Amino acid sequence: MTHQHLTPDEIEAFGRELDAIRDRHLADLGERDRAHIQRIIRIAETSELAGRLFLHFGIDPISFVLGTGALTFAKILENMEIGHNVMHGQYDWTGDPDLDSHRYEWDSVSPAASWRHSHNFEHHTYTNVLGMDRDVGYNLVRVGAEQQWRLGYLVQPASALGLALTFQWGVALHDLRLEELANGRSTPAEVLERAKPFLRKAGWQVARDYLLYPALAGLNAPRVFAGNLLANAGRNVWAFAVIFCGHFPEGAELFDRSVLEDESHGEWYLRQLLGSANIEGGTFLHVLTGHLSHQIEHHLFPALPAWRYPAIAREVRALCERYELPYNTGTLGEQLKSVAAKLLRHALPSRARAEADSPAPTPVATGARGKPAAVAA
Amino acid sequence: MTQPLEGQHHESPLATVARRLHLDRQAEHWLQRIDPTLSLGEVRARVIGIRHETPDVKTFQLTPNGHWKGHRSGQHTLLEVTIDGVRHRRPFTIASPPDADALALTIKRIPGGTVTGFLHDRLSVGDVVGLAQASGDFVFPDPRPTGPLFLTGGAGITPALAMLGELAQRGGLEGATLVHHAREAKGIIARDRLVRWAEAGLELILHTDDEPGPRGFDPDRFIEEVPDFAGRHTWLCGPPPMMDVARSLWALCHASERLHEERFVTTPPVSDGQAVKATLRRSGRQVTLDGRGSLLEQLERVGEKPAHGCRMGICGTCRCAKTSGVTRDRETGALSTEPQPIRLCVSDARSDLELDL
Repeated sequence: MTHQHLTPDEIEAFGRELDAIRDRHLADLGERDRAHIQRIIRIAETSELAGRLFLHFGIDPISFVLGTGALTFAKILENMEIGHNVMHGQYDWTGDPDLDSHRYEWDSVSPAASWRHSHNFEHHTYTNVLGMDRDVGYNLVRVGAEQQWRLGYLVQPASALGLALTFQWGVALHDLRLEELANGRSTPAEVLERAKPFLRKAGWQVARDYLLYPALAGLNAPRVFAGNLLANAGRNVWAFAVIFCGHFPEGAELFDRSVLEDESHGEWYLRQLLGSANIEGGTFLHVLTGHLSHQIEHHLFPALPAWRYPAIAREVRALCERYELPYNTGTLGEQLKSVAAKLLRHALPSRARAEADSPAPTPVATGARGKPAAVAA
Repeated sequence: MTQPLEGQHHESPLATVARRLHLDRQAEHWLQRIDPTLSLGEVRARVIGIRHETPDVKTFQLTPNGHWKGHRSGQHTLLEVTIDGVRHRRPFTIASPPDADALALTIKRIPGGTVTGFLHDRLSVGDVVGLAQASGDFVFPDPRPTGPLFLTGGAGITPALAMLGELAQRGGLEGATLVHHAREAKGIIARDRLVRWAEAGLELILHTDDEPGPRGFDPDRFIEEVPDFAGRHTWLCGPPPMMDVARSLWALCHASERLHEERFVTTPPVSDGQAVKATLRRSGRQVTLDGRGSLLEQLERVGEKPAHGCRMGICGTCRCAKTSGVTRDRETGALSTEPQPIRLCVSDARSDLELDL
């Protein structure tokens, strides 16, 4: 770990400073936040309508490209900046039922309720803890030497590509915890029961994108079918890229279960910081990622409206400099390259050298003093 | 768009299809962009007029959209407005009779009140507000009894205005009596209308604290003025002390079954760490919470097992609807006074509560 120069007291002081940042923003919530999300919703709805009109009524390839593009854009906004953030409860304080985390149902085959559990609770509480955060490699790819190697990981460059193209299905299936069938923790009946909401929702989603809308388009049915397929695939790839850049670039740490024992508030914050990575870019990129380009800030403050993360990031970065803590950030290209390298490297069993590159997880509260380690391995 | 809350209402098959295809959300969005009063199911109303009744009372004239199912005189509605990004809902009595051209809400400014302050200072003609369907049993029984008596104080006159307005429209003011109390003569709401109704047959008795004689509601004076009160159907609405005195008077005369009361209950807040009573709606349990730690911990100590996750306010698993009472957010210290969802693991109680558990 890269914080061993901090004493337990310093870690708690760090936590208190983060609490203060959070409280300042909580106290400031208001019309600006609501206006932001309403504006994104307006843009997404307009874009979706425009996309569908182009796809349904156009006959030329240009309108097909425009329509598919607009639809993809709308679907990305809906899942990332609207759905993900609303379902985190970032706008619950508005009291608006349309922005209510427990009522919002997103445009994805994964039902909101099960996603909220696996994401908001498991992933956000146990971030990057092996065996607890099931989002580490999505049970499909190996992203650290700490993960035990299996033969199947040999093909992980291909399986990662497959996951990218079908990401929403991957997320939904992941939530069903199918692996528990193999290790006997769930019976087939239990898995089937868990699968029901997913099957119901996925059925409707598929029927809408590949039956209803094409049928409504008459002769344009193949065009609409293809447009919907491409839009869903485009969003899958984008979401995959953003999420993999959030936790799996070089330098983002994995943790052993033991860190959870008596983990203090400050240590929890520290784990969120060390397990996450940001993507640098402009406002447009940030909105497209649902501000998960600020994965660090999102993991520190998952319930704050995400559009505030760029401002919060300046404060967090200054804090990290002061405490000599790493702050993992890079452009989209850099982070993608880093993730790809990691996926390739960990497809093979780890040699002793690789082990040394990413040190074995240690309990957080060591209190030992030393030089901060380099950010990226 | 949004999932119906558990057990809230039954959805029509068409509504289910629309929701499953996300079409309801889109339709609602575009309807609102065309005209903010349009909605698939929500009652929204446009403000078409604002009248100054007294220095601190205004009447807002509203025209609801087609989802409004109407009301009976004396009922109230919930008015919903968005103030600095936050939706607020407050109950207000409807001061107009059912067949009036517009719905009238006569609202007194509460000093320091967020919602009434906003309504008085910011709401303007043309704005759109949300409404809940009318409710309340402070209404005329069917058939309407003869010789109704209204005993009111301050802003408590508003339901009587609707009921008297209905009588006025039907020529039924003869035999009705209104005994109203106000702090000062210029603070009497709808004075002109009252005088007009008095000319049409209403027996009008007004008392203000700036006139000689007893202040507020005085039982002795009242008995002298309306000696036959115990035999008449009476509608009572006013400040709590006045209602308490009147209630005991009616009880003394064994006339309580003819006394109809309207009052908006407010729960007095308690301080940090004090024990409170909680009513758990789903289980029907009444529990006493000891006030130590978060609501989640307190509920667990009395044997409840609320769903929860991170226990630190980030995952939202323990979110639960608070249907009444005051809670405090332990992270920010902010008080929640309205019925709204709260996170049990970062809240504590500041009054007796009712929770959807």
